[in-house]
Amino acid sequence: MSQTQSPSLGNLLRRPETGSFLGLVAVFVFFTIFGGGNFASPTGAASWLNVAASLGIVAIPIGLLMIAGELDISIGSMIPAGSVTVAIISGHFHAPILVGIGVALALGALVGFINGILVIRTAVPSFIVTLGTLFAVAGLTLGLCVILTGTTSVAIKAPPEAKFLLGQFIGGAFQVTIFWWIVAVAFWGFVLHYSPYGNWILAMGGDKVSARNAGIPTERMTVLLFMCSGMSAAFVGISQAILYNSAQVSAGQSYIFNAIISVVVGGVLLTGGYGSIFGIVLGTLTFAIVNQGIYYTGFDANWASLIIGILLLLAVLMNNTFRKLALSYSPAKGKASK
Amino acid sequence: MKNVMKIMLTAALLASTATVAIADGARIAVIGGKSDDAFFAKIKKGIDDGALVAKAHGSSVSYLQLQTYDNIGGDAANLIRTAISQHASIIAAPDWVGDSEDEAYKAATAAGIPVLLYNAGGGDKAKELGAINYVGNEEYPAGLAGGAYFATHGSKNVICVNTVPGAGNLEARCKGVADGISKEGGKSTQLPLPASSFGNPTAVAEAIKATLLKDPKIDGVVTISAGDADSAANGIQQAGATAKVKLGTFDMNETNLDRIKDGTQLFAIDQQPWLQGFLAVTLSDGFVNYGLKTATPVILTGPGIVDSSNIDATLAGAKAGYR
Repeated sequence: MSQTQSPSLGNLLRRPETGSFLGLVAVFVFFTIFGGGNFASPTGAASWLNVAASLGIVAIPIGLLMIAGELDISIGSMIPAGSVTVAIISGHFHAPILVGIGVALALGALVGFINGILVIRTAVPSFIVTLGTLFAVAGLTLGLCVILTGTTSVAIKAPPEAKFLLGQFIGGAFQVTIFWWIVAVAFWGFVLHYSPYGNWILAMGGDKVSARNAGIPTERMTVLLFMCSGMSAAFVGISQAILYNSAQVSAGQSYIFNAIISVVVGGVLLTGGYGSIFGIVLGTLTFAIVNQGIYYTGFDANWASLIIGILLLLAVLMNNTFRKLALSYSPAKGKASK
Repeated sequence: MKNVMKIMLTAALLASTATVAIADGARIAVIGGKSDDAFFAKIKKGIDDGALVAKAHGSSVSYLQLQTYDNIGGDAANLIRTAISQHASIIAAPDWVGDSEDEAYKAATAAGIPVLLYNAGGGDKAKELGAINYVGNEEYPAGLAGGAYFATHGSKNVICVNTVPGAGNLEARCKGVADGISKEGGKSTQLPLPASSFGNPTAVAEAIKATLLKDPKIDGVVTISAGDADSAANGIQQAGATAKVKLGTFDMNETNLDRIKDGTQLFAIDQQPWLQGFLAVTLSDGFVNYGLKTATPVILTGPGIVDSSNIDATLAGAKAGYR
């Protein structure tokens, strides 16, 4: 990734993100044609940006784990655990919001730490480990929530500063979460593409044994990545509780599939070792546009799932075509572009 | 490892002695929804409170709950059969999907186990199956009441946001709203959302916003659950339509009630879930132990409309987890 490439059309087409980008352009054009003026207006853009932002914040660490050859589905219960934790501590018991946010994030880190340790110590596939913690965290959230508050839906009134940072709508339409997503993209983009950790992560997904033999601290990296995905999920949960003034025990399972879809549409290989942050961002945007664009069209909403399915398949197929181009390319002898 | 085995054995032993100890009294089997479902949690609270009465009479209550709602009819039928094989003295259960569950109810009756329906099924179904009572709401009349309330409060073009399209009781709610409002000269259409949006408040809010922007004639939104109402309130606000578009919902939570109090939500259609759980258990207990039976077999716990006129009493109940 770090080697410089001359900006020829051929090289551009062989970048891992090209397929995802063309997929995004295709769905955008599709909904601009069928969705009319409202879809392309700023409030229309807010529709899919808001959905993309909260999904994107969890999709990036999930994508990194997938690039490193792991998977974390416990986010499905970590998101509600995050929102319920902050709602119980700061909403029900009226503790300062910072305490609630801090404990929720710490809980995310702890669950991630447990996931990571179990994965590296037991060698059980991370899908199974996190499936276990998915249920365990859901059960713990429900049990504690009912014991502490007597209900499964906890109200929270965040103070103005917290509303400003995590729960405001800029211009009445754009969730402040979008800016947190941009921060996350910048941070992870730096980690994956400009810091040594990036190549380590890619190497781990390519071949873990060789990566370890080459001196990469694969175990520490695995635990760290799981902790980051747990904290990101908790963060999304916190911001949703503050945005919508309430937290439900069971809200978040759809994030598991939606995050994986976004990552795969973004060009990350399910088998690991290949992918980019920019691609994941494009995949998340594509998914959000397809999921929300339908409401701007005149189509009967009963067909929404069908259209989502077909458009996503097309996006992935386009991706595969371009990935083949990228991976099978070898410069002709003597004419290698350096 | 040895210690773990020891603990497990002790636990198993304790559990088996516990069942022996309570084998004398009536064994009330209650089948119900997931307890992380905010609505069913209130039913569960009623069941737990009812169990205190049952316990004082020497009865025991076992709660068999669904793990998911993906195959609700078949799973509920299996739980009814589980209760039959446990030789329950009476089975109280919702009849969510009659086609799947009725056979299991008939098997219970054939095995000499009386049946009580609560939460879903309705009075006609209870009569057909020979159940001693139906305790609960009837979805269609609840929808009718909501539709009529909208119409008399100035909303004539209402969307019914359905986050689980295809579920019989939710379709009945939306159909009720449509019929209730059309009697007063208005109309209501359904907005079905795909499964990829379920449980994602932002996706639900944005879908509602988009629909409102697309059709500026809409002046009312009704949601099928309390959590969806929180998303809808946000979608309406983002569409800049707070003044024009009124919000109503089936069921309710504390945040909904706070909105009704400060005037940004019109109403909630309540079916008093706590009463459903409490009555299901206490009526079962009375019937099995003492042959007690109500003269009217259908006990309707709803629909009741919660609006600005009765919000304070409701809020007090909600704070304690009863509403």
